[in-house]
Amino acid sequence: MTQDILRQILDYSNRADPYPLYKELRRTPVYHDGSGPFVVSTYYEIQALLHDPRISSDARNLASAADDPLAEPGEEEETVLPPSFLKLDPPEHDRLRRMTNRPFGPPHSPHRVHDMRGDLHDIVKGLIDKIAENGNAERIDLVEEFSYPFPVTVICRLLGVPPEDEARFHVWADTLAASLDPDPDADPKERERRTHDSRMELGMYLSGLIEERRKNPTGDMLSELVTGNSPDGTMTTMEVLSTAALLLIAGHETTVNLITNGMLTLLRHPEVLDRLRSEPELSVNLVEELLRYEPPVQLVPQRSTLADIEVAGVSIPKGASLWLVLAAGNRDPLRFEDPDRFDPDREDIQHLGLGSGIHSCFGAPLARQEAQLALSELARRLENPRLLADPPPYRQNAVLRGPRHLPIAVDGIRP
Amino acid sequence: MRLVVDLNRCQGYAQCAFLAPEVFAMHGDEALLYDPNPVADGEADGELRGNVTRAVAACPVRAILLELADGHAGDGPGGAS
Repeated sequence: MTQDILRQILDYSNRADPYPLYKELRRTPVYHDGSGPFVVSTYYEIQALLHDPRISSDARNLASAADDPLAEPGEEEETVLPPSFLKLDPPEHDRLRRMTNRPFGPPHSPHRVHDMRGDLHDIVKGLIDKIAENGNAERIDLVEEFSYPFPVTVICRLLGVPPEDEARFHVWADTLAASLDPDPDADPKERERRTHDSRMELGMYLSGLIEERRKNPTGDMLSELVTGNSPDGTMTTMEVLSTAALLLIAGHETTVNLITNGMLTLLRHPEVLDRLRSEPELSVNLVEELLRYEPPVQLVPQRSTLADIEVAGVSIPKGASLWLVLAAGNRDPLRFEDPDRFDPDREDIQHLGLGSGIHSCFGAPLARQEAQLALSELARRLENPRLLADPPPYRQNAVLRGPRHLPIAVDGIRP
Repeated sequence: MRLVVDLNRCQGYAQCAFLAPEVFAMHGDEALLYDPNPVADGEADGELRGNVTRAVAACPVRAILLELADGHAGDGPGGAS
């Protein structure tokens, strides 16, 4: 094991194919170089830790983040918004997640996500139609023209953000997603300032919208969060702000990458793309396999220990920083047969792509529907699509990993 | 189409109730109620079938066992967990 395998994983030159590095990492299930984070890369250990009450998601429990290349410097003091439930432990986490779930899913809103199917279909159809009308068949950037605009439109619809404001969200979402990522070349002060400004602007914008919805509720999630009344009470304006910001960023950056990674994988496996064209129902299992094979969240870098614990024979002290490398666990040969093979018919497929335990992906049912629909419609409508660059250019981000552009050519677009 | 949910495996993730709300319902935050025979044999309800398929695939602990009319069991419990 090289001393700096973590640096290699974060190094942009390995972004297109980090999997050999993960394989090397798994040889040491709990990797620790003496001063940095404890990095866990094997399936069963990650799964257990995701369900372990001695593991915290609250950065305030870190003893020190000095040597953690993914630590967020002083963010909690700096930020305008209180932490969202992604970064909280029970009981606050449970209370906020319960309140957020009330207008989103069962038991209180069992039909919200299911009833969005028609909307999702219309948005997908509209985007592909637009490519057919104005696009250049010789060069289509699937990220810019499809997988980027789709999820942000969906999340804005769900929350109740007016369509004309979507463009501004792209900018904020990008900056905030970049802040989760180490950039050795950037001036940390400058980066912090940009992140802070984006948070401020997003917060200001949402505050205005929240006041608007408080006065005239329109049945969308934001209205319900503001006016909701449950045994947990009603969220404060600050809590609604944090939650809305979380849903916007998390529901957007990740799904973009799921769809883009999906299309890239299909273009690398043309026989599967052909099958999907005639069997759209294959998309259900195919998306599960994608979440295993190319997970949009490669690792969870913000966990810490609330006690001294032992994992795979390694003692981890209280207050240590943990990285859980989901993408490495997803290819653990002790758990999955032939793990480096992309197999859309795979039956044994309990991947870690959406996490597990109390923080498992809140938007999972929506993300699944988006990806299933997007990929089956692209497969059906694009005639003879082919990659113009392999590997395509990736985003800087090692955690929320995916192509920045996906240039393809097609012979035409079916109606 | 017959459904069995292994309630010992079920952890209350509620993913099935999101994707096929006409078949699976949460009673309170943890108890799951479901229709064990949502589509009568020989009946072709494509949309409902699709929803159930999505629900089965989305279960993080693979607790839903789907038995199709031809006796073929789809998607049983996965490997050790």
